[in-house]
Amino acid sequence: MSGCEGGSCSTCGTDDPNRLPPGMLKAYDLNQSTADGILVWTEVVEGPDGPRIDDSGAELIGAARNLTDGRVFAVVFGGTELKSLYGRLFGYGVDTLYHVREKSLERYSPEAYAECIASLMDRIVPAAVLIGATSRGREVAPRIAAKMGLGLTADCTGLRADGRKLIMTRPAFGGNLMADIECTKYPQMATVRPGSFPRPEDSEGQGTVIYWQFCPECIKDVISDEPMEEDGSDIRDAKVLISLGDGIRDRSLIDVAESVARKIGAQVSCSRALVEKGWMPRSRQVGMSGRTVAPEIYLAFGISGAVQHRAGMLRSGKVIAVNNDPDAPIHSFADLSFIADAGDVLRAMDRE
Amino acid sequence: MRFAVAVKQVPDTMEMSVDENGSLVRTGVPAILNPYDEQALAEVLRIRESGDEVVVFTMGPPQAAEALRRCLELGADSAYLITDRAFAGADVYATARALAAFITGNIPDASLYVFGRQAIDGDTGQVPYEVAALLDVQQFAYTESLERDGDSFLAVQDYGHVRRTARVPKGSVVSFGTVDPNCPLPSIRGYLESLGRPIKEVDRVALGLGVYSVGLKGSLTRIVSTESVMSTRRNRRVEISNPATAADFIMTELEGSR
Ligand SMILES: Cc1cc2nc3c(=O)[nH]c(=O)nc-3n(C[C@H](O)[C@H](O)[C@H](O)COP(=O)(O)OP(=O)(O)OC[C@H]3O[C@@H](n4cnc5c(N)ncnc54)[C@H](O)[C@@H]3O)c2cc1C
Ligand SMILES: Nc1ncnc2c1ncn2[C@@H]1O[C@H](COP(=O)(O)O)[C@@H](O)[C@H]1O
Repeated sequence: MSGCEGGSCSTCGTDDPNRLPPGMLKAYDLNQSTADGILVWTEVVEGPDGPRIDDSGAELIGAARNLTDGRVFAVVFGGTELKSLYGRLFGYGVDTLYHVREKSLERYSPEAYAECIASLMDRIVPAAVLIGATSRGREVAPRIAAKMGLGLTADCTGLRADGRKLIMTRPAFGGNLMADIECTKYPQMATVRPGSFPRPEDSEGQGTVIYWQFCPECIKDVISDEPMEEDGSDIRDAKVLISLGDGIRDRSLIDVAESVARKIGAQVSCSRALVEKGWMPRSRQVGMSGRTVAPEIYLAFGISGAVQHRAGMLRSGKVIAVNNDPDAPIHSFADLSFIADAGDVLRAMDRE
Repeated sequence: MRFAVAVKQVPDTMEMSVDENGSLVRTGVPAILNPYDEQALAEVLRIRESGDEVVVFTMGPPQAAEALRRCLELGADSAYLITDRAFAGADVYATARALAAFITGNIPDASLYVFGRQAIDGDTGQVPYEVAALLDVQQFAYTESLERDGDSFLAVQDYGHVRRTARVPKGSVVSFGTVDPNCPLPSIRGYLESLGRPIKEVDRVALGLGVYSVGLKGSLTRIVSTESVMSTRRNRRVEISNPATAADFIMTELEGSR
């Protein structure tokens, strides 16, 4: 599973897949904690001031630290610039960090990443592997699971440990049901929704770094990777969301909502109805086919509260709804609901 | 070229509700072709050229034939129903294993294996990538558009922060993300023609899989318990005619929670 079979790889240059690659010392005795540790794939994102640990990765390291008495392993992909992140990762709770510094893996490729993480799982034999349910995580995790014949619980919102066993909680049927699921084989695998666990405090720590040599068999023919033109804000980070639905009949109300949002330190999101009209970008859509948010306060203006929408805002702290239809479903799960015209209330808030 | 499209019949979760006791009301909920799969099929029908063949397949109970029938009406050429009592209760892995075995045995030569982004009845789009891994082919997730480029294809994929354009080799798995909601579905003109197109049935034995490789027994995850989500919110309803008063109310709430 090292991906180097056939001796095609110059760095490892061996046809014995079980030989330890250079940089990996026997002395670390990596198997000491066989099947009680947890491995986390930590995604790294490009920030304005260099690489940054993605929130989902940080959250999962924190969660793993609390779930196991064993070791917490993390794997990161990237070049030497990631060295600046080591201390932070150890601070979050990582014991052993695998840094994959293969040039051809600096560009994301689901097939190669899955192969590589699988090779690490063969080496470490962790009890569980946790991966953020990000767009990448959601396609890499199943690829690993099927390759290795393992069970996978997708898109969990909660994790509990019963010894080495993980109980994974996830919503089903558009958020109408919560199911507790377990994997019947080790390593257990789960993808976990971003925001399900608190991000651990930033601190610097120390631990072991291992350069993991891995040469992928499959290199994708990628023609271009273009960053999406977005202002960089993400509705998933907002503490307060002003969310607009089809009850917003006048497009200028979006500007009013933006103005209110600036005043109160909120962001503006929407239901699918406004994305379909072309009034709001998809990146602002809350719901099953949009983003999953969990702000402290969710203000729904002119949103009916269809299950597909609800699935994306289920875990909001407090829900306040303004909808002029007393029978709209949103009223039945809001903490506070106003039977009023959404536009009028927004304008009044803007004037305050 | 041959296109193989995986589709699923799902309960219409839009119609699903929770009763006063918090139990899921399933009775009377109509079964539909998974909307994402319908969109994926529409995309395939859009890029098909004369001489191409579009094959749809589903794993499900006998009544899932209705979903296949709809695909035929939309313009698919033939359909396979992978059905067997032993398939019941399959998790992602057991589903992917059966679908991969089906593909290997029945349509090993397709130019593309096309999937929807997710089934609306609970799963979150894992099946396509497990199938891709089992077939050992490349995968193209979150595809928003697909164009022919000679013998291969170009896919544009939406990774959220990045939009990727990549070349799709023959035999890859492509899963469509949310496609243009305004893309019109093909009309059901072909109803009469479609009646002649057969739905072939394939069972466990035909797939060459043992009883312990499929369905609940072949699954690697187990549901321990489920709980319906009851609204635990304390609902306060305020009917207000003066919007300024409502705005005040909301602003006070916002202050209060700082
Ligand atoms: C597969 C699938 C996935 C989906 N994914 C999503 C998703 O991710 N996110 C999502 O949001 N939806 C999603 N939907 C769509 C969802 O089912 C609903 O159609 C959608 O959420 C409705 O949006 P809405 O509430 O804004 O519009 P509507 O349902 O039209 O509701 C508008 C509401 O505004 C009220 N209203 C009208 N005028 C006023 C006024 N002047 N003042 C105050 N209130 C007013 C009305 O009473 C009504 O309740 C999905 C559907 C499918 C099939
Ligand atoms: N039982 C099934 N039969 C055929 N295709 C399926 C089945 N289940 C899932 N799929 C395909 O896989 C996609 C993702 O499904 P899921 O992973 O269940 O969300 C769907 O959109 C279908 O294309």
